[in-house]
Amino acid sequence: MNPFLLQAQDAINRRSFLTSTSSVLGLTALNSLLSPNLLQAASAPSIIGGYPHLPIKAKRVIYLFQSGAPSQMDLFDPKPQMAKMFGKDLPDSIRQGQRLTGMTSKQKNFPVAPSIFKFAEHGKSRATISELMPHISGIADELCFIKSMHTDAINHDPAITFFQTGRQIAGFPSMGSWLSYGLGSENKDLPAFVVMTSFGSGRRDDQPLYDRLWGSGFLPAQHQGVKFRNSGDPVLYLSNPNGMSAATRRATLDDLNALNQQRYGVVGDPEIEARIAQYEMAFRMQTSVPELTDLSKEPQHILDMYGPDVKRPGSYAANCLLARRLAERDVRFVQLFHMGWDQHGQLPKAIRGQCQDTDQPTAALIKDLKERGLLEDTLIVWGGEFGRTIYSQGALTQDNYGRDHHPRCFTIFLAGGGIKPGMTVGETDDFCYNIVRDPVSIFDLHATMLNRLGIDHDRFTHKFQGLDAKLTGVEKARAVKSILL
Amino acid sequence: MRPRIPGIFCLFLATLRLCAAEGKVSFNRDIRPILSENCYYCHGPDEKHREEDLRLDIRADAIKAGAIVPGKPEESDLIERIFTDDEDEIMPPPKTHKVLSGTQKELLKRWITEGAEYQEHWAFVAPKRPEVPAVKSKGAAFGNTIDAFVLEKLEQAQAQLSPPADPHTLIRRVTLDLTGLPPAPAEVAAFVNACRTADGAGYTISKEAYEALVDRLLASPAYGEHMASTWLDYARYADSHGFQSDSSRVMWPWRDWVIRAFNENKPFDQFTIEQLAGDLLPQPGNAQIVATGFHRNHRLNGEGGLIPEEWHVENVIDRVDTTGATWLGLTLGCARCHDHKYDPVSQKEFYQMFAFFNNINETGVAIGAKNRSGGNFDPVIRVGTPEQLKRSKELETKIAEVNAALAKANKAIAKAQSDWEKNAKVHSQTPANIKKIIEIEPKKRDKKQAEQLSKYFRDNIDHPGKQLSAELAVLQKELAQLDLATPVTMVMEELPKPRPAHILHRGQYTEKGEEVFANTPAVLPPLPANAPRNRLTLAQWIVSPQNPLTARVWVNRQWERFFGNGIVKSSENFGMQSEPPSHPELLDWLATEFMKSGWDMKAMQKRMVMSATYRQSSNVKGLTPALLELDPYNRLLARAPRLRLSAEAVRDQALAISGLLDRKIGGPSVRPYMPNGVWDETSVYGDLRNYKHDPNGGLYRRTLYTIRKRTSAPPTMLLFDAPTREICTVKRSNTNTPLQALSLLNEVTYVEAARVLAQRMMKEGGTTTAQRLSWGFSNATLREPTGQELAIMQKSFAHHLATYRAAPQEAAKLIDAGDAPVAATDPIELAAYTACANVILNLDEVITRD
Repeated sequence: MNPFLLQAQDAINRRSFLTSTSSVLGLTALNSLLSPNLLQAASAPSIIGGYPHLPIKAKRVIYLFQSGAPSQMDLFDPKPQMAKMFGKDLPDSIRQGQRLTGMTSKQKNFPVAPSIFKFAEHGKSRATISELMPHISGIADELCFIKSMHTDAINHDPAITFFQTGRQIAGFPSMGSWLSYGLGSENKDLPAFVVMTSFGSGRRDDQPLYDRLWGSGFLPAQHQGVKFRNSGDPVLYLSNPNGMSAATRRATLDDLNALNQQRYGVVGDPEIEARIAQYEMAFRMQTSVPELTDLSKEPQHILDMYGPDVKRPGSYAANCLLARRLAERDVRFVQLFHMGWDQHGQLPKAIRGQCQDTDQPTAALIKDLKERGLLEDTLIVWGGEFGRTIYSQGALTQDNYGRDHHPRCFTIFLAGGGIKPGMTVGETDDFCYNIVRDPVSIFDLHATMLNRLGIDHDRFTHKFQGLDAKLTGVEKARAVKSILL
Repeated sequence: MRPRIPGIFCLFLATLRLCAAEGKVSFNRDIRPILSENCYYCHGPDEKHREEDLRLDIRADAIKAGAIVPGKPEESDLIERIFTDDEDEIMPPPKTHKVLSGTQKELLKRWITEGAEYQEHWAFVAPKRPEVPAVKSKGAAFGNTIDAFVLEKLEQAQAQLSPPADPHTLIRRVTLDLTGLPPAPAEVAAFVNACRTADGAGYTISKEAYEALVDRLLASPAYGEHMASTWLDYARYADSHGFQSDSSRVMWPWRDWVIRAFNENKPFDQFTIEQLAGDLLPQPGNAQIVATGFHRNHRLNGEGGLIPEEWHVENVIDRVDTTGATWLGLTLGCARCHDHKYDPVSQKEFYQMFAFFNNINETGVAIGAKNRSGGNFDPVIRVGTPEQLKRSKELETKIAEVNAALAKANKAIAKAQSDWEKNAKVHSQTPANIKKIIEIEPKKRDKKQAEQLSKYFRDNIDHPGKQLSAELAVLQKELAQLDLATPVTMVMEELPKPRPAHILHRGQYTEKGEEVFANTPAVLPPLPANAPRNRLTLAQWIVSPQNPLTARVWVNRQWERFFGNGIVKSSENFGMQSEPPSHPELLDWLATEFMKSGWDMKAMQKRMVMSATYRQSSNVKGLTPALLELDPYNRLLARAPRLRLSAEAVRDQALAISGLLDRKIGGPSVRPYMPNGVWDETSVYGDLRNYKHDPNGGLYRRTLYTIRKRTSAPPTMLLFDAPTREICTVKRSNTNTPLQALSLLNEVTYVEAARVLAQRMMKEGGTTTAQRLSWGFSNATLREPTGQELAIMQKSFAHHLATYRAAPQEAAKLIDAGDAPVAATDPIELAAYTACANVILNLDEVITRD
């Protein structure tokens, strides 16, 4: 091992008492030395006071974000009674004057569009799942459905920002950043928060994504999600320049460290030692990331399990397999975004494609984790930013319809990580328009996720603008107790 | 808490604060922070969330409720409740997870014993000019009043300033701090020489030379660019609308106004008034209207299906938040949904501030074709001289006329074309692809073919509209050039009649409450009685001498720029929850001095950098362990801080060291290197797509000119702590991460800079390897390498040379980085120097300002 690295690590170990107020020299040095995701510090202390507040049921999260908002009544929340309402106007008693987006608010009428897809009960839990999701149906007993999610936002940008950061407006840290900040990394060679995005069969101009969705907001920038790219370097600037071999890079780093050590000897600022450690982690990432993203050694039966798309880099299937590999390496928060669910028109055709993209890989990921014993401490969340309307946007025919945004109710599912498998919580009305039982807010979902990670959401704060800012906001949030193992 | 040094200091929460170990308890210093942090949330200004109808932020109320009995802690409920062991009784309640320390409890008790006197929050009381303290320390060779205030506190801690920094360190520090660029090596040599002692053995900083240096830097155009970089964060300036499709806008004329204003040293009060309300000044000039772009820099949503009123309200709230954060150091946004939890700002007062910004003649949304294609939204102004603007109008009129004439001639042209087609089929001069189209029956040609044919005909063949077309082309060309010189930018424009403003229950646009009218919070001095309640009055009020916040907030942020931390460390928040100032008298002295000088920004910064405090060494080794323990965050300033350069300065410096930097000022944003696909991987909306770096003048401009798409900001900017510019950001974090290392090692910008530096090492650095390596090293660090450092580099160079000799094809690849021309006779040697220069540009010393 590189002697300078050892020296740097030594220096850090010597300063491991920095949690007290003694011998700290610079704020940044303190941040970098204590920031667990940057160091070989599997047992780095959490910055959360009193952590763990609760038994730790999940060590990591894989969030499978379905961007654009999947239609709940075509996938998981069947409303067979709507068949007889075909084409009839949504009753005012159901809409209750609730606001609509500008895309349909001027429609003359709101014809009910029953789902054209067949549903069946699956597993011991008798979960009703659409024919569009045959593989998910096969693992129904692993899943916990929440049919009573609701949100305040009605447009994509604020809604997805709300899901990711707990606020509709920009400037707040994303879930993964909070966890990177609070819990750090268990892996010395990889970032604590990794993001992957995919396009599938959906319209290429479907809803975009934004840096802020994995941004660190007011938390230090090192906690922003590291986005794995679908082409070129998986992590930006990971590869050495053309014409610089790994050996030459190592030699340059040795020289750099030696020169930085010289300087440390003169000025005595521990920030320099911290920087040496960062360059060493950068070097380790140059090995650990390509090793991670190289799927060539995955056996055929595993590749088959994730489906044919797995061979296409940047596909949802490939990203699901990478998510498993990241979970194996104890990466704290893995976030996938699959784009293309915003189906205002031609929904039946488009949703078939989206399900084709995601059904098999999602199920494969959960099965794969289970077979490796990782599901029990990996929390999986699947869902979009809001739901869709029962009424058709645009013309309704026997086999075609579109659906507008619907924030009042939608379905997500969770699996693993201390969540009760094979159950459903919440219920919507006949029109899949309003929640009739057990509403769950985004804050409640965040509180539930934190709960499984051993964190009381009310005690996980960061001082910002004089306030104890929390992921779960200022309104009261509560973990959904009924789904906790 | 281990008060090793007797008496004076103690540490709270790892923050140095004066405390009341001796002398009388001070409410502002000792008590308010405890009450605010632990009690006000439920017993403070917010009426709706107040528990038991008890408020502790007002003395009379606290006494009336029996919580406090002055002089009698044993009779005060507050004391009983904080000392009790009863879980149901104890305050703060366990469910808040807030716990008072023993020291805090004792302080509260002593405070009540001493009479429980309250003080107004220091930041809400106008600064008074303090006495300059007399200090014992022998002053530095030269310095100023600032040093007296700093030394006073240092002496109390039995400490002193560090020795002055070396001249080469000092010139690098002050040049980077004031211009964001390193000094040129020749400038360093001249300054160092001027500071050489008569015997030539050592240095002493020459006051004349240093002052001349500071004056030169303040007069440099790079100064305005560097100051503007920070202001652009406050103003959330960018080149895109920021939501969903995130298409382009043109606001760089406003950005250039800011650069000019800093360079012209526009007094801060004027700087403020023009940006907040330049349009409302009597007979405003074009530039004063451009300045109001400050509050059009916020994001604009154009997402399909949005509800315009919702986003109009969001924008106005953004303006209130940004104004509060930028000028007042207040978190007004906390009062959007409810009365402020800590500061005396009610929800009603928040919407009174809202009313000032609610009357712009705007839709507040980016709906329409421009949401995808890009463009500015009204109100806008064309920037330019009166002559330019007149000519532009003339051109527009003429173009319309020619177009009309052309439309009339259309039939004749069509006939001419069809006549021509008959001959063209066989004519030898007709290109084959055109002939092919002619072969197709006119009705069967698709749109593209028809257009191609018509274009060919109109461009090449004489026809009845030919002269008109030619004329049109000339006019359009002139207009395009004029457009570039006189861009359109978004500005403020007041509606003739104010839009009604209401309290919005829970901050929701749908839940309108009582109507409110423009006014400022009651805790601050009132507006002049007879002044109209508009933005201009607000702006004038912000910079009135009675305003207790503005001057303090601004000088504190400049202090932060030069000393790492503000005197008030929470430079973003001066409210009740702010950290008490480390040097309150100094802050007030600076603030009053700033106002007295006529809000002279350069004079105030000059004062700071001329101080001995600023000029001292940053070396940590000179400090005693006792002092390090007492003051781990260097709040006492026993040394200068070492600070990593900002995202912009890191890149600008690499360009400057290599000699690539293009010093052109202002103009449209530019496109330097960015990784392929950075804009497109997550979005195919909008017009900002398919990023390509611009080889024609876009590669080596200062980083503040780099195009900013908000939803996909330049990655290296984010890695080095620059904000996304989606919202006002008045303070950046300063991190140290592996991804920063990867970008400095491998990003083409830095590899190219290393290669070009290597070329210069070979060309300008002398003849021997040692000379050349020394030259490169000192060009970057602005000091000579030590013998050991040089030895490390020489060994390294020999190694690289051998490696590349063995693999010349690799050398060729390495030196191919970037667009800058390769100039070297020996590619293998150049590759070896490039590897060494890559190390030099990554040195901690290079990316840090010592």
